Amino acid sequence: MSAALSIRGLSAGYGPIAVLQGIDIEAAAGRLTVIVGPNGAGKTTLLKAVSGLIPREGEVLLDGARLSGSPASIVRRGLGHVPEGRQLFAQMSVLETLQLGAWLLPRGERSARLDEVLAAFPKLAERRNQLAGTMSGGEQQMLAVGRALMNRPRMMMLDEPSLGLAPKMIEELLKIVLRIRDSGTTVLLVEQNVAKALAIAEFAYVVERGRVVLGGSAKEVLASEEVRTAYLGTV
Amino acid sequence: MGFWLELAASGLITGGIYAVVAMGLNLQYGLMRIMNISHGEFLMVGAYLTWWAQTILQVNPLVFLPVVALMLFVLGLLVYRLCFRPIARTAANAEVVEARSLLVAFGLMFIVQNLAYLVWGADLRGYTFLSDSVEIGGARFGANRLLVFGFALAASLALLAALKFTLFGKAVRAMMQSPTGAQLVGIDTAVLHPAVFGAGIALAGVAGALLSMVYEISPSMGEPYTVTALIVITLGGLGSAGGCLAGGLLLGLVEAFGMHFTSPSLKMLLSYGVFILVLLARPRGLFAR
Repeated sequence: MSAALSIRGLSAGYGPIAVLQGIDIEAAAGRLTVIVGPNGAGKTTLLKAVSGLIPREGEVLLDGARLSGSPASIVRRGLGHVPEGRQLFAQMSVLETLQLGAWLLPRGERSARLDEVLAAFPKLAERRNQLAGTMSGGEQQMLAVGRALMNRPRMMMLDEPSLGLAPKMIEELLKIVLRIRDSGTTVLLVEQNVAKALAIAEFAYVVERGRVVLGGSAKEVLASEEVRTAYLGTV
Repeated sequence: MGFWLELAASGLITGGIYAVVAMGLNLQYGLMRIMNISHGEFLMVGAYLTWWAQTILQVNPLVFLPVVALMLFVLGLLVYRLCFRPIARTAANAEVVEARSLLVAFGLMFIVQNLAYLVWGADLRGYTFLSDSVEIGGARFGANRLLVFGFALAASLALLAALKFTLFGKAVRAMMQSPTGAQLVGIDTAVLHPAVFGAGIALAGVAGALLSMVYEISPSMGEPYTVTALIVITLGGLGSAGGCLAGGLLLGLVEAFGMHFTSPSLKMLLSYGVFILVLLARPRGLFAR
């Protein structure tokens, strides 16, 4: 069910602008790994490069098998990606969005999977006929997570799911992230809410200016003086 | 009463054709930002192929309709591969795709049109098909015109239903609304883009085949339809198939009544007038929410 993700020597950018330079990250199977770092460090670029949305150099392995090619072929291999800005289909209903999430599932499995995801997200079930673009930020984020889960991913990447949400909604979303991990799915979470993210993660990496500057267990990273000073405002 | 019904029907018949042509262009422009101003030339190719089939092979143009759709679909795949795929692959963003495709399509327009002059000559061509008139509610209509309207409406509604109710249609709409989101649910753009471009060209071919049943055809017949399709897309809203159908029918009616109350020579002026008014008052389309 769960899968380990290995990112080795990954470099990527936008045209002539190099953003990531030789990133090495491991996400252990069935565990929650968090990536933190300042704005512009390259966290979003990293997730985009892993899921094939932008060209990259270096190796990305899912359970030892190379992940390469188009985003569609990478998603087919079991990688789910909840992207920055959610990238929902604004003029489509919740139901239609989730149906599209099952695009790669065999026809016979789609309906059962839809029932499972709707059962896991009662709010989405309540609003199944509402257009995605008319929902609140938190509900949209839930829909984006639900859409990615429809394909039964073995590995899930979430890009700053708490961005712009109210504290109560952030708590709810982080609970959802934990539920995904507890169901056996490997989770790689990019999060700007450093304290909360490190408190729930097993492993963590700090990315600054396109490089990994610190990595290890979440406890070790949380205990590091640099992290406490730069991200938590305490010593 | 009969006269007004005839006038309205004439507008709706023309509008039905506008809707089919515009839906085809909307698939290309709405989905991939390919500004294919050679779209009308493929309408002309569809018309000539149908004329050929009718005059040389004596094939009923209605029977030939699915064949012309398939032929134009394959031609669309080829055109996409040769002309627009390199642009889609190398352009940094949608604006660059739009600008570059406009220039390429401009060249393509001349190539296709001149090839038509070379193959079929500059003379007006045509054939007679179901030209008897039918009386409905005191108004008289050409049977072929009613048939053309029926088929145009059926093609538009079929496309609307496919986009609304099938998972493939939803995938096409998803690509229009968020290309990144669509890729992340596993929709393969390398397959979907050429297929949708081909479907757009096939719709132009179908519109051309329908037109050949009613009007005489010439190699330059396509160009005005491209302009009209752009107006209809503006009326209906970018990416909206339903808007295209409503916009097409509306423009057909505006032209028919406008020409009656002014002069037939003012047809383009009326179309452009509507275009400018909509751009000023409702730039996102008449039916945008």
